Amino acid sequence: MTATAAPATSAITAPAPSPSDNQPPLRRRRNPSLHGTLSKVIIALIVIVQVYPLAWLFITSLRTELDFATGDPFALPKAITFDNYARAFETGNLGMNILNSFIVTMGANLLIVLLGMMAAYAIQVLGFRFSRFVRGLFLIGIIVPVQIALVPLFIDYAAINLLDTYPSMIIPLAGFALPMSIYLFCSFFEYIPRETYEAASLDGAGPYRIFGLITLPLSVNTVVTVVLVNSIFIWNDFIFANTFVLSEELKTIPLGLQNYIGAMGKTDWTATFAAVCITITPLLLVFLVLNKAMIQGLESGGTKG
Amino acid sequence: MLPNRSRLSVLVFLLPPLLLYGAAVLFPIMQSLFLSFFSWNGISDMEFVGLANYVRMLTGDDIFWRSFFNALGYLAICLVLQLGGALLVASLLTSMRRGRELIKTLYLLPAVISTVAIAFLFARIYSIEPAGLLNQLLHWIGLGFLERPWLSDINTVLAAVSAPEGWRFTGLYMLIIYAALLSVPQELEEAARLDGASRWQLFTKIRFPHIMPVWITTMIMATTYGLRGFDIPYLMTNGGPGQSSELLTTYMYKTAFTSTDFGYASTIAVFIVVECLVAVGLILFMLKRKADA
Repeated sequence: MTATAAPATSAITAPAPSPSDNQPPLRRRRNPSLHGTLSKVIIALIVIVQVYPLAWLFITSLRTELDFATGDPFALPKAITFDNYARAFETGNLGMNILNSFIVTMGANLLIVLLGMMAAYAIQVLGFRFSRFVRGLFLIGIIVPVQIALVPLFIDYAAINLLDTYPSMIIPLAGFALPMSIYLFCSFFEYIPRETYEAASLDGAGPYRIFGLITLPLSVNTVVTVVLVNSIFIWNDFIFANTFVLSEELKTIPLGLQNYIGAMGKTDWTATFAAVCITITPLLLVFLVLNKAMIQGLESGGTKG
Repeated sequence: MLPNRSRLSVLVFLLPPLLLYGAAVLFPIMQSLFLSFFSWNGISDMEFVGLANYVRMLTGDDIFWRSFFNALGYLAICLVLQLGGALLVASLLTSMRRGRELIKTLYLLPAVISTVAIAFLFARIYSIEPAGLLNQLLHWIGLGFLERPWLSDINTVLAAVSAPEGWRFTGLYMLIIYAALLSVPQELEEAARLDGASRWQLFTKIRFPHIMPVWITTMIMATTYGLRGFDIPYLMTNGGPGQSSELLTTYMYKTAFTSTDFGYASTIAVFIVVECLVAVGLILFMLKRKADA
């Protein structure tokens, strides 16, 4: 994890305030603070672009309908109302949608972690003749677009009566996330010293006990990484849910939100935004509480490539 | 290899993940390939048509080509926003002393929001009646003549549906590139600085070459994600008006589930996979040529 290097580099990369005398004067030395100020302004601007729309979404969910329809979108609301939230709960099945998203996210994560760990264990620790080939087969999945599976899975599900069920969403979500999970576990297992396994083997532990007693407990950090990163994508999955789920009782959050778009083209926007605020809260809370772990996970996922 | 492993134990660990992966990914790829040689609407008998679907796609389907070029435009906008924005912010961030963690968190925030919510949000940002954020902002800074319904103007709709996707994941790529930038050896940078290297030289001669492997990874990620982009265009415009924001993915989806032309939809799906593989191959090829030169 390279993030730990942060405090050390900041001292070096920051503009040096003391110009040395025997060096030719360089442009950056003449005005050392200009660059710093400029970068702060650029960063601030980009952060506003990234965050303001979300703040606006929240502010709008507290506006009255009239205020929204006639007022200046940048202004603060004239009066704060929670009616939108009441209407959001009346219109849809938000509670049920959140529960469904929760079930799908849990189910898929369980498969991703457990099966990912097992495959990585077989490939990296146990080893077998075609392990490189199998590893490559899995890794190809990282770049395969999910759209390829929509038509075949739709046909297959229809044939075995799996359309419109939780597994119809969980199977492809887990299957397409598995390669990245295997990859991360493989990279982690490389760091466990061989001696650990050899010592356990000499004590008579077989592959199952070593998996349960050594590999599993050591992998907790990687499990957290894999779960956090995948949860973002699974919680928000639209394409599989939209293709395979029809009944109201199984709709996840992304599908539930669509119910707020009025059939006649007239949409209750303030209530819709209230619904959006409610549905993003669970993941947002997890993200804000665990953002350090999540950020580290995302960083390591990319840089180990 | 573990000394005490048996062939059975390898199978016990390998078979379940292989089954899931096979059922969800490998088998459907084969099935799509198979279906792409047939004409089938899901109800009547399947009819083998050979390469007819491919011939139709490549030579006789204007919408396909329109979608293909739209998808390239969508990809270009996503790449510029995601990788360009990410590299800019990550570089600037390394020179900041305080607040890095906060900025990283804020910057990543949009990645947590579902695409449906983002589609709603941007529909209102682009709206003209009542004036959305974008039109209002243009009005204020004296560019009122640019005000327009961004999503129904055929000249702007493709950019309008691409920008949210770019916006959404900039933070993700920024994190990865930032982590790579921190791993650039300080001695190298310092030595170059003492030799009088400018900021720009420092970046092009030392930092960027050092993060090249990570840059390639992010480029592959962003490209393959960009080519499979679907949610936001589908939700915001459904490819319209006309075919102005139709991507290969939305076209394939509609062919499959609106026109129920499973055979032809599979042909397009196969094309999307090939396109991703070619894109990744091209990136790696260019990298290799650069390394050899």
